[in-house]
Amino acid sequence: MKQKTPWLAYAIIAIGVITMVFPFLDMVFTAFKGPAELMSVRYRLFPDEFRFSNFQQAVRSLNMGLLFMNSMIVSFSVTGLVLLTSTLGGYALTKLEFPGRDVIFRFILATMMFPAFLFLIPNFYIMVNFPFVNIDGGLAATRWALILPFSVSGFGVFLMRQFIMGIPNALLDAARIDGASEFRIFGQIVVPMTLPALATLAIFTFIGQWNEFIWSLLIYTVNNRLATLPVGIQMLQSHLDPTLTQALVSAGLTISVVPVFVVFVFLQKYYVRGLALSGLKE
Amino acid sequence: MKRRTQQTLLGYTFMLPIFLFYSVFLIIPLGFSLILSFSEWGGFDLSLIRFVGWRNYEDLFSPWSDFLNPILWNTFYYAFGTVFLSFIAALTVAYLVTKLRFQAFWRTMYFLPTVTTVVAIGNVWAYLYHPHGGMINGLLNALGMPTIRFLANPDTALPAIVVVGAWAGIGAAVLILTAGVKAIPETYYEAAMIEGASEWRLFFNITLPLLKPSILFVLITGLIGGLQSFTLIMVMTGDGGPGNATNVAALEMYNQAFRFGNWGLASSMAYTLFIVVFIITAIQLLVFRRGGVESY
Repeated sequence: MKQKTPWLAYAIIAIGVITMVFPFLDMVFTAFKGPAELMSVRYRLFPDEFRFSNFQQAVRSLNMGLLFMNSMIVSFSVTGLVLLTSTLGGYALTKLEFPGRDVIFRFILATMMFPAFLFLIPNFYIMVNFPFVNIDGGLAATRWALILPFSVSGFGVFLMRQFIMGIPNALLDAARIDGASEFRIFGQIVVPMTLPALATLAIFTFIGQWNEFIWSLLIYTVNNRLATLPVGIQMLQSHLDPTLTQALVSAGLTISVVPVFVVFVFLQKYYVRGLALSGLKE
Repeated sequence: MKRRTQQTLLGYTFMLPIFLFYSVFLIIPLGFSLILSFSEWGGFDLSLIRFVGWRNYEDLFSPWSDFLNPILWNTFYYAFGTVFLSFIAALTVAYLVTKLRFQAFWRTMYFLPTVTTVVAIGNVWAYLYHPHGGMINGLLNALGMPTIRFLANPDTALPAIVVVGAWAGIGAAVLILTAGVKAIPETYYEAAMIEGASEWRLFFNITLPLLKPSILFVLITGLIGGLQSFTLIMVMTGDGGPGNATNVAALEMYNQAFRFGNWGLASSMAYTLFIVVFIITAIQLLVFRRGGVESY
């Protein structure tokens, strides 16, 4: 049954889309504005001229080279570790027999019910003091403080377990009969077959970590060399008058947000699958 | 027999990183902060932890405490407000978008805030609300209305942030609701249309009832997320101001611990909020078992 074009539906959706996109457009254009425009009571979306120098100044005054490097290293390391621990765990929980396996799986599921804020206080103390000998700043002296607390994801283990369950046992048994070692079975049969699930988990984890704010902020308070992009930009925002810094903050945000948009638009199929499975964004 | 031992050994080896992680970052911290919630402690030196029994919890729930009113009240206001607004918007979008061409493109646009850091969302919106050069006040002025200092006025600050929280949450809700809408067989609509049902009746008598499991899921998970949320408020207001007008439980916990050094009191707040969240999560699990939609 073919219907006529639903104009009203198009209109409502289009108004909604403008509402979703406008704040980002405003961010990008604000990044080019000068002090006079930012002080003005009159609002204009477009800057009176495109001041690319704002971006240069943002890169310099925010020390964006350092922020970018920290964000990159942390996000890639966390993604790598989560992929590794999730695949190992997912495989063990489905294809290997060992006592207590089901209890362990239920425990991992249960951990996802614990809200993150509950761990901020104790984990911060542990991180700053580990290994509890006279090392100044503990693990917070290194980037490990930003990486380790995110190195295992209950959701990741769950996702990989669901996926690996679909790999037929007969395939693994055949390889065992042929004399393949357990490590070879894992590395050469299981891992290649889980690539689609790994892609989902990788993008989901990377974007989540790139945007992570509160833990990075805590670690920053003890070691400001560890500032990531969100933390560094937020620090500029909160110390100075917004009319003076809004252009720089917007420039910094544009630099940190736009790459994620590009990645997302191209790889959204994988990302959306991860979100649908997690059911809930933090 | 030999293979079983080998598998057990290999299984535990593969699980080792996960065991270590949960011991260090979950079990020990849970115990540590439970002890702290019954103690008074300013951080740093473990030997200065002083056990005070239920006093932290008594302080939280005493009649003159800020924690119940306005902080816990604000927490619920924020959680219910964001969930309600983003649900209404997402339901409209999910229902209408399936009728259009280029569905995937439209949905991508609603998704952008979901992949954006809270620092960007908070700063961009704080500037949209800003009395000097912000778009929203520019629009109000152009329409002849006076400037509103949205984030500085205690009456408007929390509703203004609720709007932002809802805006940011639409994408995830659209995703789940669209999946639900698409799962409804087209024949139901066709049969109703042959009977001469109006568009409104199609929506209220077919879509809405059949969407109930997805709707419940969106509402409850959104509520759980909303109750814990505090970074958006922190980015937009700093400390939950003006006064306590936008202060929520998790933000108060953060401030008590990391600004004022009341680690014991902060831990008791964390546990109190955790229990609230836990009860709602338990209700969610119960509802979904009964509804027979465990697959979610």
